This record gives sequence, structure tokens and C-alpha cells, in this order.
Amino acid sequence: MANRVIKLLQKLREYGLKKKLDLIISYHEEDSRLMRFANSAISLNTNEQLINLDIQVWDGRKRASYSMIVDPADLNAMKKGIDTAAEMVRHAEPLSYEPTFPDFKEDVIDQRSFNRGLSRLSNAERLAYFNKVAKGLESEDLKLAGIFSNGITITAQINTHSPYVQYFSSTDANVTAVISSESLKWEVIALQSAQKKTDLKPALLNRELKLLVRYYQKAKPVRLPLGKYKVVFGPAATGDVVNLLGRWVGTGEAMKRGYSFLTPDMIGTQVLSPQFSLQDNPNRPETYGLSHDQTGLKREPFPIFTEGVFKQFSWAQDEADEYGEKATGHEVPHYSLEIAAGTMSCPDLKALIAMPRDEDILYIPYIHYMNLVNPGKGLLTGSSRFGALLLKKNGRVQVPYNVRLTQSFYDFFGERVEWMSQERVVHDTSSSYGKRNPEAVLVPRFLCVKDIEISHSNTSY
Amino acid sequence: MRSDLKRHINYLKAKGAMYADVRWYPYEETNTIYLYNGNLKALNSSRQSGLGVRVLYKGAWGFSASSDLSNLGGVFDQALDNARIAAERVTFPIRLAEKDALTATFTSPNRIDPFCVPLDEKVAWLKQMDKQLNGKGVTNRLVWMDFTRKQIIYIDSEGSEIEKNIIEAFPGMQVMGVDNDGIMQSRKYLPPRLGDTRGYETMDTELFSTQAERLVRELNELLVAPPCPKDRRSVILLPGIMYLQTHETIGHPLELDRILGYELSFAGGSFVRLEDFGKLRYGSPKLTARANAIEPNTPGSYGYDDDGVPAQNNLLIDKGILVGAITGRQMVEEANAKAHSQIFKGSSGANRATAFYRVPIERMTNINIDPGTDGTLEDIVGQTEKGVILDGDKSWSIGSNREQFHFATDIGWEVEDGKVKGVVKNATYKGPTLEFYNALSAVGDERTWQMCYVDNCGKGAPNQIMQLGHGVPVCRFDNVIVGE
Repeated sequence: MANRVIKLLQKLREYGLKKKLDLIISYHEEDSRLMRFANSAISLNTNEQLINLDIQVWDGRKRASYSMIVDPADLNAMKKGIDTAAEMVRHAEPLSYEPTFPDFKEDVIDQRSFNRGLSRLSNAERLAYFNKVAKGLESEDLKLAGIFSNGITITAQINTHSPYVQYFSSTDANVTAVISSESLKWEVIALQSAQKKTDLKPALLNRELKLLVRYYQKAKPVRLPLGKYKVVFGPAATGDVVNLLGRWVGTGEAMKRGYSFLTPDMIGTQVLSPQFSLQDNPNRPETYGLSHDQTGLKREPFPIFTEGVFKQFSWAQDEADEYGEKATGHEVPHYSLEIAAGTMSCPDLKALIAMPRDEDILYIPYIHYMNLVNPGKGLLTGSSRFGALLLKKNGRVQVPYNVRLTQSFYDFFGERVEWMSQERVVHDTSSSYGKRNPEAVLVPRFLCVKDIEISHSNTSY
Repeated sequence: MRSDLKRHINYLKAKGAMYADVRWYPYEETNTIYLYNGNLKALNSSRQSGLGVRVLYKGAWGFSASSDLSNLGGVFDQALDNARIAAERVTFPIRLAEKDALTATFTSPNRIDPFCVPLDEKVAWLKQMDKQLNGKGVTNRLVWMDFTRKQIIYIDSEGSEIEKNIIEAFPGMQVMGVDNDGIMQSRKYLPPRLGDTRGYETMDTELFSTQAERLVRELNELLVAPPCPKDRRSVILLPGIMYLQTHETIGHPLELDRILGYELSFAGGSFVRLEDFGKLRYGSPKLTARANAIEPNTPGSYGYDDDGVPAQNNLLIDKGILVGAITGRQMVEEANAKAHSQIFKGSSGANRATAFYRVPIERMTNINIDPGTDGTLEDIVGQTEKGVILDGDKSWSIGSNREQFHFATDIGWEVEDGKVKGVVKNATYKGPTLEFYNALSAVGDERTWQMCYVDNCGKGAPNQIMQLGHGVPVCRFDNVIVGE
């Protein structure tokens, strides 16, 4: 595969050199497959095979770009795309700062996140996986929903300033399995992220769903009084909040543009809990780590918080150029965030429920529709969803209706953190709105935080 | 090409397909230009071409898409293979509501094709606006224009052949500044749809200039404003936030696929049940909402949906009572069968896909609120004892069944005893959906009604971004929780 892509890019580079262009070409190829389940049936089974080219032409401080979904056999159309970008740049205005052209010092072939087994997963295997997940769970009232999304992603870059090519390939699968009650309108969820075929473990999902369904079928639902609760967040909840923190709020761009509560004078100071360490680690294949960014910078583990101390903002190249900062290797389609493991052994939901406790604990596995209410204060809001439990101090388990949390990053990861699990899991944070871009975070299985405020309590799941 | 596509559809029928359709995009082009603090950060164009094939086999869907047109047969075969495996897990065999076979063409109305306007002219226009935004108190400014032009050829196994040629324009501008608490505040302008067309002629320089001045003025008021009070009071929503309220708490909950559980594992469900149609009091008698896909000037109007059904104008909520939904051919059949009654008399023509490589699903069209009889904004304010006028979407978060919501707005104006007291910042409001709409106490007349656009509505797995419209008047809701 790599040879085919590299040869194509080299041909396009030659064309750019012949035209004397400052040319950057980014290649993206995906073979995406998605099996969607609803009402216990396969409601859709799709595949898309797409090749995208992003062509940039620079002329000093002027830039223009042209993107194409291409027919791989149609080299002329791609050359025409280069001509179009070259024509467009004549009409561009120069930037007020000096942009840095990518500088590749060597060929890079990074296939650490590619797994042959997962790349060859068949329709029949995906169906068999889901049948195992749902085994013993469906009934006239209980319905299976979910997705099995998997694919191969190839990205590559070349430019006319250096002869080298960067090539990255990965395989990924993102599984969401939901059991819902048609009559009572509750839903419980189990999630799995896989970078290789052996990561696919349907029995784990089946076990978690069975446990949740047992409580949801038997326990009487409660509307929680407003107030402060000790909350244990599941990996999806923790993963989505920390992804927002690391991937956006912790960037220099967000800080400069007013979307961050973090400021330069916080660097080196204690901002969050000493139990909280967060880094972008490109050496982890399970979070689709990339060895180099798109400007050719080699990527190394990048601490953002170390034991609660804010270490640094991440800077993509263009924003670094704009604001006179040093780029940190973050001109990338995704980060590879990980929270350091905690000290409490609590590997799964069964263990959490069995854990002795001297006060009630609200378990929130998933935060639905999270959004930043006031970025400057780090305030965000969202609702609990998909299998929350109220673990009573007397050992009983209740099922709460959904609640809304409007809290800041300080509330989630600050001094109120009580403990985090030793065990960590990968939570897929990919969005498939655009080109396939597998993204995941490695987080403790559970995060326990005291005094989380419930600001709205509902009368439905 | 068209005859090749028809031949392959016939081939699928011969192989046992109950139904098949293909959407071929000979081209879809975009042109995006934006200035950030005067820097031309993006001068982008794009072009894509390809086809998507949808096959119904033994009651199950298969779909396949490719940009590689040299292997048409492979794409059709793959779609059928995908449907065959899906047919191994069927609980309610898919049927499609009746429709007429059509040969038709739709062209969106426009006077000036934005793709024929020179780039120099577009860049100069943005620079002119940027200059006007660069006023006192402004630390960041953004001005952009985004255009799309596409041709879609739709052919199905029932004899329909439809060609669509669509052009859209999505311009906007925003200013930001740091307030006296060190927090970034912002105001933005997404122009309402004026006139009957949607080409480059909508880039009205005079209108944008006036609005640029207003944005800078309002931003400066925000920078020194007190925070929004925390209490219960009336909220008066201007179209700049009412459109989003309508989108999230009327549009999404009334998508029939959500109601039937097809979005449960992703975007969520709906508090609406099939038995609610014709009975549920969704809002006060002042609330009448409709899905109107035949307004000329908005992206929620497209001629024919991707089931080949003509776009329509249908009531959703009639004087407060729920009467309709946003539907396609598959979902109305399933809903009627499950309800054991004919709730829906055919598809409402709202099944759309965002691109050739995505499958059509129920999408909002133009989800509008009818103008009321309560006069102008000034009239409504004059009859408000204690309230806050809100405008501009800053953030939004909605319950998984759309039963509750929390919105933050760019700006507020406190109202006391029928008079505007002044600007407040960091305003938020929240509440349960049905309680909120039943507290609708005033609806402005047509002078307050504006057609707003949405160019980023996300839904579905795999995810899709859709463009649509919301025609809304100024509305007042009572006894709402507001706060900083």
C-alpha cells in the first residue's frame, strides 16, 4: 500500500517542481465500514472507499488550498487541482507573519497503529461480534442498538522543498452497544475501542450490559434532589472531558483566542489535583500515536499537567508562527492523550458496586451533549446518560433519572479528586463528521470526585 | 453515465433487490475564505465527485459509496453484499411508503453564481468588513464566506430520475473582546435570508456594514456589563437564539427516526411517542410550527429529497398541539405499523444525505415558527414586567431525549416594568422542553420574523452535517431559570 501512495505523491511532486511551485500535498485514504444496529436489527450496513487530496500552494506569505475527493486513476484531475491552487494563490493576501513551510528531513513510514487482522475484518465477523455482545439480553421490550465502525486510514504528506515522504497507516474499530427498554425508555451502554483484532472482546461488553440491565429492570428509578454528590465517572465521561481539556483548552490557539481558562502565568503552578497527570503520548499505538507532525517535527511525549502542575500549552505550527511561539509538534489531526493511572484498584463496574462506602456515590458513565458554557472560566455543562447508578452507602443500588452537571475543569480534575483507578482503558473519541480520523484517549477506568453539583434533575432517564 | 447507472440498478433488481437507488454527484464544489484579525487564514476550494448506492434486500439496507468511478459494478455489488449480511438480522422488514415515479429537475434560485465571482472581489469584500470590525475594544475579529455548488443525479428502481443543481452561501462575521473580569465576550452576525434567492447577491455590503457597526457597539457594551441575574423571569428570545431553541427542542425531537429509536446509540431519542401525535400539548396555543421545505431562499429547500419525494410544507405543531413529524419513506411505514393506525399519510419528503458517501436519513428542512399577533419587540418588551432579552448562541446542551436543555447566549438586556434597563453578560437559561413551550406567552408578528440558517447540523452514524433553515419570530417565555 505504502509504495502505491508514495509513487503517486512523488509524481505529483514532480509536477509541482516542473511548475516551480511551493507545493504541499496531504493524502488521505479511508476504507470505512459501519454496521449500525437499531431495534435489534441491522438498520444499515455501509462502506465508503474515499481518497482525499489537500493541495496547498504557497507564495511567500500567501497561501491557497484546494481539496479533492479523487478517482485514484485520474492523475490529470489531480494535476489540475494543483493548477487550481496555483492560480488561487495569485489572489491571496499576504499574512502579517512569516509562515513556516514544512521541513521533512527523512522518509517516515509509521505503521505502528496498523493491524492486519483488524484490517481484514469481514461483515460476518462484525455481525458475530455483535451477536455475542447481545447474547441473552434482547427481548420483546429490550432492544439492541449500536454501531460497529471500523476502517483503515492512510495519511501521507510530501512537498516540493524536500524529497522525503511521510506515510502513516492505522486500523481502528469503535464499538457502541446499547440496550434500551421500549416501554420504560431507558438505555444502558457499553463501549469498546480496538486498534487490533485482539482488542475486540465482546464478552466484556456483554457482562457489563447484563449487570446494568439487571439493575435497570429491577430498581425503582429515583429523581435525585439537587445538591452536591460524590460522583464516580466512567471512562467515556472522563475521556470526553479530558479530550476537551487537552485537545482544545490546553492549546496555545485556544488561550490566545479566549477559549481557555488556562493562562501563561499558570505554567509551572499547581492548577489541578496532584493526582492528575495528563500527557500527549505519540508512542502509544492504541491511541493512534503519530511519530511526526505534518510539518516534519518529531513528536515526543508532551506533558500538559504533571501531578496537577500545568506544564505548557501545545502549539500547532501556524498558530506558533502567528503568535511568535515555538511549535510543539502538534500540527496533527489528533492527539494521543493519556491520564496517568491512579492508585485505587477498581477494574470494573462490578468491583465499583462491591466497593465498601460510607456515603452515597453517583456513578455517571457518560455525559451527553457536553458544551463549554463559559470558556474563560472553564465552565462546561452536560447531562448524565446511559446507565447511571446511585450506589447507596447501605450497599443498595438505585437507578437515577438523568441529571445535569454544570461544572468547571477545576471541579472535575482539581482538589476534589478523591481517587482514580489503577486500571486504565482506551476510550474512542473519534468524530466521523469529516474524513476518518481515529482518535482515542487512555484514561483510568474510574475517576472519583467529591462535591459535584447537580444543577438540574429530571423525571425521565 | 445515466444509462450505465440504470443498467446497474436493473442488475441489482435481477439479483433479488426489492429496491435500489443511486445518487451520483458529478461535482460538489466549495469555496471557503476567512480572515482572522486581518490575516487571510483560509483561501480554500474543494471539488468532489462520486456515487452512493442504496439497496433494499429482504427488508434490510445495504449502502456503498466510492469516488472511483472506474469500477461501477464493484460499488453496486458491495452495496448488495452489505444488504445481504444486514438481512441476517431483521426484526421489522423495511417497507417504503408509496410515492410517484418522477422525472424532474430542481435548481435553487440565485442571480449570481458565487463561483463566477473573482476571488479578488471576494477577498476585497472581506477586507472591507474586517476593517469595519476593527474597532475599539475588539481583540479578535473574524469574517468569512462559504459557498457550495453541487449537482446530484438521483435514479431509483421505481422509475424516478431527478436532477438537482444547488447553490448556497453561508457568510458571517464575529468580534471578540476581553471584559472587565478578564473573560472573552463575543458578538456575531449570521445574516438572515432576505429576498427570494440564495446566490452571491445575498452578500449585501450595506447590510453587513450596518451590522458590523452594531456588533462592535454591542461588544463594547458587553465588556463593561454586569452579569445576568440568577433567578426566574421571562426570557424574550430574538431570532438569533430562537432559531437554535427551535432547532434543538422542536426540530430534533420530531425527527421520526429518533422517535423510533434509530439514533439511540448516538445522538439520542425523543421524549415524543407515537401515541402523542394529535394529542400532546407541546406548547401554548400561541405555538404553531411547521416544516416548510418550499421557502425559496434557504438551504432547507431542495426540491426533492433523497428518496425522490417532493419537498413539502407541513404542520408540526398546530396551536400548541403536536400534529406532525419530519419523515421519510421508511419511517412512516414503520411508525404506522407499530401504532396500528395511519398517523402519517406518506413521506414528508425530508430524507436527505449530506454527501454522495452518506446514506439519507430524516433531516430538518426549514423548521419554522409562525409569526404571532403580539406585535414588535418593543410591544412585547412593553408588556414584560421582569425579563431578559437574549440573543446569539454561545453554547447549547440538550438532554438525550430532548426533554431538557441549557443554553448560553452572547448577550442579554435586562427588562423591568416594560423597559430595557441595560446589557448583561454571561447569560444562560435552562428548563424542561414541554414546560418551556407551554410558558410561551407572546409571539411577535411578521415584522420580527427572520429566516436564519444552520450550516452545521450534526446527526447520524456515520455522522453527517446538514444545512437547513429556521424562520422564527421574537418569542417570550415566562418563569424561566436564568443565570450567569
